[in-house]
Amino acid sequence: MHSPAPVSTRRRFLGGLGATALLGPARAEDATPTTATEGTLVAQPFYGLHQAGIVTPQPAASLYVAFDVLAERRGELPHLFRTLSERLAFLTQGGTVPDVHPQLPPRDSGILGPTVLPDNLTATLSVGASLFDYRFGLARARPRHLGPMERFSNDALDPAQCHGDLLIQFCSNTAETNIHALRDVLKATPGLLAPRWKIEGFLPPHVVKTMGADTVRNMLGFKDGTANLDVRDPRLMDRYVWVGPGQEEPAWAVGGSYQVVRIIRTLVERWDRTPLGEQEAIIGRHKGSGAPLKRGHERDVPDYAADPDGETVSLAAHIRLANPRLPGTEGSLILRRSYNYSRGLTAAGQLDMGLLFVCYQADLSAGFVTVQNRLSGEGLEEYIRPIGGGYFFALPGTPRPGNYLGDGLLAAV
Amino acid sequence: MPEIPRLAPDRRRAAAVAVALMVGLGDPRPGWALEQPDSPPRPARPSRPAAPELAAALAAYRTYVVAQADAFVRETARFVAAVQAGQLAEARRLYAPARAPYERIEPVAALFPDLIKRLDVRGDEFELRERDPAFVGFHRLEMALFTHGSTEGLGEAAERLAAETVILRDRVAGLAIPPAKAVGTASALIEGIAATKISGEEERYSRTDLWDFQANIEGSKVVFTLLRPLLADRDFVARVERSYKRVEDLLARYRSPDGGFQSYDNLTARDRNALKGPITLLAEDLSTLRGRLGID
Repeated sequence: MHSPAPVSTRRRFLGGLGATALLGPARAEDATPTTATEGTLVAQPFYGLHQAGIVTPQPAASLYVAFDVLAERRGELPHLFRTLSERLAFLTQGGTVPDVHPQLPPRDSGILGPTVLPDNLTATLSVGASLFDYRFGLARARPRHLGPMERFSNDALDPAQCHGDLLIQFCSNTAETNIHALRDVLKATPGLLAPRWKIEGFLPPHVVKTMGADTVRNMLGFKDGTANLDVRDPRLMDRYVWVGPGQEEPAWAVGGSYQVVRIIRTLVERWDRTPLGEQEAIIGRHKGSGAPLKRGHERDVPDYAADPDGETVSLAAHIRLANPRLPGTEGSLILRRSYNYSRGLTAAGQLDMGLLFVCYQADLSAGFVTVQNRLSGEGLEEYIRPIGGGYFFALPGTPRPGNYLGDGLLAAV
Repeated sequence: MPEIPRLAPDRRRAAAVAVALMVGLGDPRPGWALEQPDSPPRPARPSRPAAPELAAALAAYRTYVVAQADAFVRETARFVAAVQAGQLAEARRLYAPARAPYERIEPVAALFPDLIKRLDVRGDEFELRERDPAFVGFHRLEMALFTHGSTEGLGEAAERLAAETVILRDRVAGLAIPPAKAVGTASALIEGIAATKISGEEERYSRTDLWDFQANIEGSKVVFTLLRPLLADRDFVARVERSYKRVEDLLARYRSPDGGFQSYDNLTARDRNALKGPITLLAEDLSTLRGRLGID
């Protein structure tokens, strides 16, 4: 089930668990009372037709981690997926962690304290093309368009930051909640998973508070996501995001979605030395308001029919290439769900920051690939460098505790 | 091959175990699969074995540690002799075997950080890297022998190295290893593998990481095998032994004809990943040893 208007999806954690269990101390000698802020009590549903974290409004912090599956036999996969489902269900709903004898290592990292609060966490599990290779006999069940992410003309892909057998997207109010969830998953699956690459992203809190009414700004200073698909419209989601039964996809994939993750470094020193007018021409919008060039409001739709030669919005402008709004291009609409990232320095000593681009679509080829091919040669290419990421397929939701994420896939072959 | 320790008759049982482990134990069943522990793999309540049996196992381990420290002195002396005689090829051949006894007991040696600083420090631990004057010991010689290809001017550094191994042996001989530390050595050796050996960061110039890897595993397995009779959970024991065998079988594929190991650079990404699984599982399982034995 996808989320309608943001406020109505919030489910009080207190109602689910019981006030005393939440607010009482975890152990007799633990005297400090738990003071949970309102946000930490919010729990996103785990069970449903679709996984959470796709049409769920974006919280402030995210962590993407790709894994190599170390299991060597098909027979080990049900245990892996079942364990992942159990842990993700616990982490997203919260609860107390069992005490352990002090002579044994603790089961939980403890970074959220003795009671795990949900903190608006969603944990979305997706599979990569390599999971369908010779190892597990799953080739016949592979989603139609799922292959390893190819290199586009402006890419400088670092193999150590690309691809993976599995990927988990953790999104919550705080970095600690995501990190806690990752460490929990690793602790639960020794010998079955090895992290392959990981990256964390953030959003400004004022955007989160207004829950999508105020668009995010990226590291170039421009609003990012203005013309995004409206997650509150179920018909749009069914048409553009969720794999449906009539799409020539394996039956198990219905209710899932193709997921693209791209780590796109922005060359911000050079961008910040570029005249404002040129920046706006490259993007196709005014920087301050986010309005298309020569328009007044962010949500105004550019009138390309009245501008066939691109004198207002250049034919090579980012927004025009991404969405030309011509008859026939409406099939390539995608649901973007990106974050900003910032980490370290490049080998040349410049800032390594940029866009943690994430999108979902029912058809990878008609969606992201078509859009990215259109963007080839855009003026923005001088200022961005895609360095990592991959193509994945977000599994359909799991309806109830007896099932687990991926059970349809494993039963299909 | 490690020497069999000599024990008084009343320690014969522990000695028998020590001998048995020298021969090499493994799971004889073919076609094993990496079975998963219950998630999480935790014993409900530690059970305390009889104190004399634990003491006997720890005493046998101490004997083993002293024997390795003796071997370390001997093998390093042979290596140093080759360096001082200017025999480059011989020195290169003796480098990794000299380190093996140390790598088998590394966490015990690490009880003396001042010695480790002079024996086993790596260039990348310093801001000035290999140019730092504090970069001495095995890896300093390693760099000269394998990267620069020369024994020139190494006489003093080699002599110092030999002297440090004697100091280590003397300290170890006089050491009462705390029980928690002795038992914890089994997992500490695996943590070392997981942190630097599996990535080839230890032997940057000679690429002899697989020698160290094998020695770490051997040393860990000695501890575990001595404690095995005291462990009540047979499923746990079987799982740990399967993990050891998995690692040993994988490493064995990289043996060289002279009985040593190929360069770490020959390790394929696929095999490196294949090692990660049992190594992580060993680290998790062996981290419960102290709890299972009721040791603080």
